[in-house]
Amino acid sequence: MTTSPTSATNLVRAQEIYARRLVHQLDQSADQLPHAVLERLRAARVRAVASRKSYAQQTAQSFQQMGSTLAMSPNEGSSTWSKLISFLPLLALVLGLIGVHELQNDRNAHELASIDQALLLDELPPDAYTDPGFLKFLSLPSPQNTDNR
Amino acid sequence: MASELELADFLKGVEKRAFKRSLYHVRDEEAALDIVQDSMMKLAEHYADKPAGELPMLFQRILSNTTLDWFRRQKTKNALFSNFNDFEASDSGEDMDFLEFSSHTPDTQMSESAENTVSQAQNLQEIEQELKKLPARQREAFLLRYWEELDVSETAAAMGCSEGSVKTHCSRAVHALMTALKARGIHI
Repeated sequence: MTTSPTSATNLVRAQEIYARRLVHQLDQSADQLPHAVLERLRAARVRAVASRKSYAQQTAQSFQQMGSTLAMSPNEGSSTWSKLISFLPLLALVLGLIGVHELQNDRNAHELASIDQALLLDELPPDAYTDPGFLKFLSLPSPQNTDNR
Repeated sequence: MASELELADFLKGVEKRAFKRSLYHVRDEEAALDIVQDSMMKLAEHYADKPAGELPMLFQRILSNTTLDWFRRQKTKNALFSNFNDFEASDSGEDMDFLEFSSHTPDTQMSESAENTVSQAQNLQEIEQELKKLPARQREAFLLRYWEELDVSETAAAMGCSEGSVKTHCSRAVHALMTALKARGIHI
């Protein structure tokens, strides 16, 4: 039998109808599976659902661990040692700042002392006697000069 | 994300057909059960975060791939040649007597009676035998399209082929089944 172009749609429809009737038969076949097979399928299903549950739990645990690591939550180390260890970085930071502050103070004091020492120990340069202002200063009567006389 | 209950209900709804579908391909009950179990595990382990609406398509795809993997593992010429390389179905007589069939088959034929229960069981066996004889791609397209009730585009996505190929495979499958069953005197 040859199909004309006008009956092409009907042909496809007929194929569909035949296929639907066939799979209806197959549905009956699927409903008549042996008990052993049904049990195996049920066990497989239960196992798959359980694996999904364990996957969800693992995911939740990993998120929780990540969170407690970031937040340094008390769960991570409930013992005194763990708490002390968690404060070590902060303690080191404070000690470091104190050390830097002390060092800076020492350096400033040393610089000031050096300047004072230089001023006190430095001799009068010879050029100073050519300076008229300095000569005038020398000629002025000072309390020390008066006392000496 | 599909809940545990949604996943369980979904698997319960598809497990029988999945087993039969796999059995038609591999023709080994133990292997078919293993394939279905592997497919369920893969779905649960790798796609647990997907919404429930995506599960049917994902599962069909996984089942197809797991079945394909089973064939690959067999590494026997017979398995490969008889199930994957026989796409040379003839086009001649493709449109033979579908119209004749559709105009003569009564709608009440599916109704059961005490007299024909045995013959229906026999018919069912013969239908399954003919289904197993189909080339793998035709059988896969037929089962996905009509038994799993996927549309053409979904079937194409599940099989990894074009929609045109799905239509061709389905048409050839139905034609081959009808020819074979008619030769056996079975009218659906």
